[in-house]
Amino acid sequence: MRTVEELIELANTELGTALRPADAAVELAQLDGWDSVHLLRLVALLETALGRRVPVDRMLEARTLREIWAVAVHP
Amino acid sequence: MAEHRPESPADLLRALHERGGTAAAHPELPRLLARAGADDLAAAGRLLAGLDPDEVLRHHPGTPTVRIAVTGRGTVTEAVPPLAAELARHGLLPRFHLSGSGTYVGDLSDPHSALYAHRPEVTLCLLDPWTVWDAVPVPWQPLDVSVAAERQLRLLSQLAEAHAAHAPAGAVLVLNTVPLLRRHTHQLTSHAHRAELGGLWRQFTADLLFLARPSAGLAVLDLEPVTSAGARADDPRLGAYADAHCAGPLLAGYAREAAHLVRGLRGAAKKCLVLDLDGTLWDGVLAEDGPRGVSAAGSLRGAAFGAFQRTVKQLASQGVLLAVCSKNDPGPVARALACHPEFPLGAGDFQTVVADWGSKAEGVRTIAARLGIAPESVVFADDLRFEQESVAAGVPGAAVLPLDGEPALHPERLLADGWFDTPDLTDEDRRRPARYAERAARDRLRTKAVDHHAFLAGLGVRVEVGPAQDHETARVSQLSLRTNRFNLTGARLSTEEVRRYAAAPGGLVLAVRVADRFGDDGVAGAALARTGEGALHLDALLLSCRVLGRGVEEAVLGGLLRAARGTGHTAVHTCWRPTRANAALRGLLETHGFRPRTAPEAGGGATGYTHPLGHIGDLPGHVELRLRLPHRDGETEVSACAPSRN
Repeated sequence: MRTVEELIELANTELGTALRPADAAVELAQLDGWDSVHLLRLVALLETALGRRVPVDRMLEARTLREIWAVAVHP
Repeated sequence: MAEHRPESPADLLRALHERGGTAAAHPELPRLLARAGADDLAAAGRLLAGLDPDEVLRHHPGTPTVRIAVTGRGTVTEAVPPLAAELARHGLLPRFHLSGSGTYVGDLSDPHSALYAHRPEVTLCLLDPWTVWDAVPVPWQPLDVSVAAERQLRLLSQLAEAHAAHAPAGAVLVLNTVPLLRRHTHQLTSHAHRAELGGLWRQFTADLLFLARPSAGLAVLDLEPVTSAGARADDPRLGAYADAHCAGPLLAGYAREAAHLVRGLRGAAKKCLVLDLDGTLWDGVLAEDGPRGVSAAGSLRGAAFGAFQRTVKQLASQGVLLAVCSKNDPGPVARALACHPEFPLGAGDFQTVVADWGSKAEGVRTIAARLGIAPESVVFADDLRFEQESVAAGVPGAAVLPLDGEPALHPERLLADGWFDTPDLTDEDRRRPARYAERAARDRLRTKAVDHHAFLAGLGVRVEVGPAQDHETARVSQLSLRTNRFNLTGARLSTEEVRRYAAAPGGLVLAVRVADRFGDDGVAGAALARTGEGALHLDALLLSCRVLGRGVEEAVLGGLLRAARGTGHTAVHTCWRPTRANAALRGLLETHGFRPRTAPEAGGGATGYTHPLGHIGDLPGHVELRLRLPHRDGETEVSACAPSRN
């Protein structure tokens, strides 16, 4: 997982979202089709993809997809 | 990214989703997900959780929908993906209403809650592993937990009453048992306290389970079998940070059980289990090993099949109809089902048997038609993938078990999908197999009256009885050791004893060979007799069960009596010694004109019988018999190919 675009692709494939790369910086609350439950599911998906634990508390506090990606990849 | 098999169900579903075709493909989901493993189901659930039921109904207006409310002690959103996946496996389209975190008391007690506005058919109140513990003060003793648990139980009981009052008629509230976590038990450092906590917790669990009255609108799912099968119960991090305490595997197991319950509540339980024989019910290949060569006991592998048979028998005791669908000739199948009293399942346990060389899809449809049930209410069990696919493709809606070459896994695969689960068991359910059996017995009788004689006449049965050749003595010994049903005198002889019997003065070992137009059974019986004081002493009479019911027994016994008279004997003496299965032979002796000569020996011993050789009944007309009896002056032959006139 080298880029936030890969995170977006993961969400689209596994969660059935229709996010675009441009959505990386959009506030999650403003993001069309994004639901807070997606974040819980993304935790497990990211850990499987990365093969290691991610800091769940900081991920849950992230406000954009880019922040989620940053916290997950560079904890 | 996780590695995926190229054609995994999840990949197919992802491809469908990308093309926007999931809703249109909804009727395909049961087949697509039938064999999906845990990862595939989790992935499928994440995609299906977002599926709009109205969109599915636009494509398929007839899709069965179920209105489900989900509430609970903690965050319940993560229960939705596994529920969506499990319900899709059964072709059910859920219309969910979710409550926020921890609002279950208000949801269920307030008649005007959004939960009741949803008009749920099923309300799932998910009790996560934090249930009770959120009301336990620190520090605590086991008794504090018990007090909190009792309070919880009273609350749940009141909420169940409220649900019964406010939910639509017929709606069911579903509670569950609460897994006890190590992080709780091991906060007690003394083993004595830990044991006390364990006991008190099980009391709470038992009280909760005893609340269940599914027919009155309250079901309780027991999650202990889910956790004991290896599902982790809690998720410490999502629990701590998102109040989502249930781990994914627990929710997957919960969803599977809940979906079975929903299916059962809708009356969609399956009715009939159709079973293959070779590799499914027994070890061995009937066509190669013969009816006696197949096993469900006696060897490690055989015993695994026996365990599967006992599981099947247990289901049958609760109203599941059983049928056989086997690619074999009907004769050997009937003989194999009849000649293994050591198998848990016998011929009488099956409502109907299809044994032919047609497709199994056709066989399943034939069985359904005979039983008067819909083909989709059948569960099909076969160890061969080819047959599984044939039925899955040819009988839409029928369930197909994914059995394989490992019989020790048959039971859990049979039970994995709760195909026969019902909310309650009725007397009618328990009586169902008996009713079908009565019906089948009548059908058989009718068939028998009309054409059994024609059937026998058309068999072309040939029986040849004559002195056993030396190489046949081992077979005669084997027959005496293995035969129980038709072993008149209970004789058990080694090869050497058979040889000595034949070599003694006046001793005779006769081999019985049987054939009909379907095949040659070879040496399928034997008679051991000796001459003494003008009478013939019949010391053993054996017939393999695979040749019984074709008139062979009557032909052999009648032929021996005629031959004895023809060689100048004044009587035939024999005895009946009970084995575990030869009770019917006493009747056979008496219908052939034998009379008891001695009272039964004490302790289940032998009863002596004598035939005075005055009147001897007719030989069965459909059997072509040739019986040679050697004696001092040569050999007497009795033969018959038409009704005897003696």
